[in-house]
Amino acid sequence: MSMIEFNNVEKYYGKFHALKNINLKIDQGEVVTIIGPSGSGKSTLLRCINGLETVTSGQLLINGYDLADKKTDMNKTRKNVGMVFQHFNLYANKTVMQNITLGPQVVLKQSKAQSEEEAHKLLELVGLNEKANSFPDQLSGGQQQRIAIARSLAMKPKALLFDEPTSALDPEMIGDVLNVMKTVAEQGMTMVVVTHEMGFAQEVGDRIVFMADGSILEDHSDVAGFFKQPNDERARVFLSKVIKHM
Amino acid sequence: MDIFAQAYQWVNLKYLLEGLWVTVEVSVISILFSFIIGAIFGLLRYMKIKYLSMIVGFIVDIIRNLPLLLIIFFTYFGLPNVIGVRFNTLWATIIAMTVFESAMLAEIIRSGIMAVDSGQMEAARSNGLTYWQTMYHIILPQAVKKMIPPIVSQFISLVKDTSLATIIVLPELMFHAQVIYGQNTNFMIPMFLALAVLYFIVCYLLSVLAKFLDRRLSKA
Ligand SMILES: Nc1ncnc2c1ncn2[C@@H]1O[C@H](COP(=O)(O)OP(=O)(O)OP(=O)(O)O)[C@@H](O)[C@H]1O
Ligand SMILES: [Mg+2]
Repeated sequence: MSMIEFNNVEKYYGKFHALKNINLKIDQGEVVTIIGPSGSGKSTLLRCINGLETVTSGQLLINGYDLADKKTDMNKTRKNVGMVFQHFNLYANKTVMQNITLGPQVVLKQSKAQSEEEAHKLLELVGLNEKANSFPDQLSGGQQQRIAIARSLAMKPKALLFDEPTSALDPEMIGDVLNVMKTVAEQGMTMVVVTHEMGFAQEVGDRIVFMADGSILEDHSDVAGFFKQPNDERARVFLSKVIKHM
Repeated sequence: MDIFAQAYQWVNLKYLLEGLWVTVEVSVISILFSFIIGAIFGLLRYMKIKYLSMIVGFIVDIIRNLPLLLIIFFTYFGLPNVIGVRFNTLWATIIAMTVFESAMLAEIIRSGIMAVDSGQMEAARSNGLTYWQTMYHIILPQAVKKMIPPIVSQFISLVKDTSLATIIVLPELMFHAQVIYGQNTNFMIPMFLALAVLYFIVCYLLSVLAKFLDRRLSKA
């Protein structure tokens, strides 16, 4: 059974057709990167996976549960799938420690002591143990994003979604965040990463998906091969533009 | 100076303070009621519940755009004709103020919640929290901080606007001052001065209380 499975998924925003006949299977432990031009539906795809958006038709199975089924408990599904956002979205009224422990305490009913102990391990992992008592607005963008990753990991999710996690960062911060993501990937986390970081896609990704206009046009396990020779014309144009900027 | 000494003789001061007491009474009761109703209406409008939020929004927008004086006239003179219930001046004022201020607060509270970045809700939901857990832990605490200054200004207006009820002869501060200088026009300036001082003290105390609350919340 796949961890995440799209079967003929369609998504409309009103009249606008945002996802067109999406078929995608992601297995446990896989790291899939998604690339594509702006407006192609990458964020929409991720947001459907953790229920921030609902699909219009088709089947979207997470761990075997159909998200379109009214009997599926959305909150339970969200518990299993974490999301890291472009703009970090740390809780502005909470300290770093509280950001990480809120979910475990409120949702997983962990004790304060236990959740804080685990939070310290996660802070260690992202290299920010000394920031436990800071507020988000006292941190740099790169630090905030690493905390956001730690916050997601604290829920012990089965999969983590990343929506352009480094796009809002200054260049010198990007490496730190990518390194953390690489470590998480090496620990066997299932990851779906929307990114423009082609280096990361090649080095860490097991698979690459190219989207345009709401459709998946390419889906390859041979990431390096895809970069050398994409089949689709639009992928070729997209890559030439992105690579020029690298 | 003799005039001031005469104007501020104890009977007059006592009479002013009695008026002040009514002003404070009307204000405090109206603040309590309108805060509760305003919070409920503001939330209902924010939550975009089919029809309900629209109706609430419609009512709020109408009331916000009426003069308070018209509402006071309506509760005092109009209601007896419409539903046959006559309220005394005190309750007619309290009801009118509550209706008006609830609408104003509903809008302040709704905008305060809307001013919280929508990414906060998304992050908390994808973190596994339910809608109400997110509201309680993340959205409302941030919204309340944003709301405190406009809510305090609104309450300060409320205190001052109680003086409108002087027109339906509510024995509040403004009315009592008028009674005093009505008997001796020389007392007019001393009375105006006394009014300015008394309204200032009440409103200033309100903003001090707000600052205290704000600081308490920041520490939390
Ligand atoms: N809530 C919404 N309501 C209506 N249309 C939307 C909504 N969200 C996204 N869209 C539209 O759907 C399309 C896909 O948007 P999406 O955000 O998924 O693209 P994307 O691939 O993530 O783009 P980007 O690289 O700019 O982030 C866009 O044309 C966008 O305008
Ligand atoms: Mg996007």
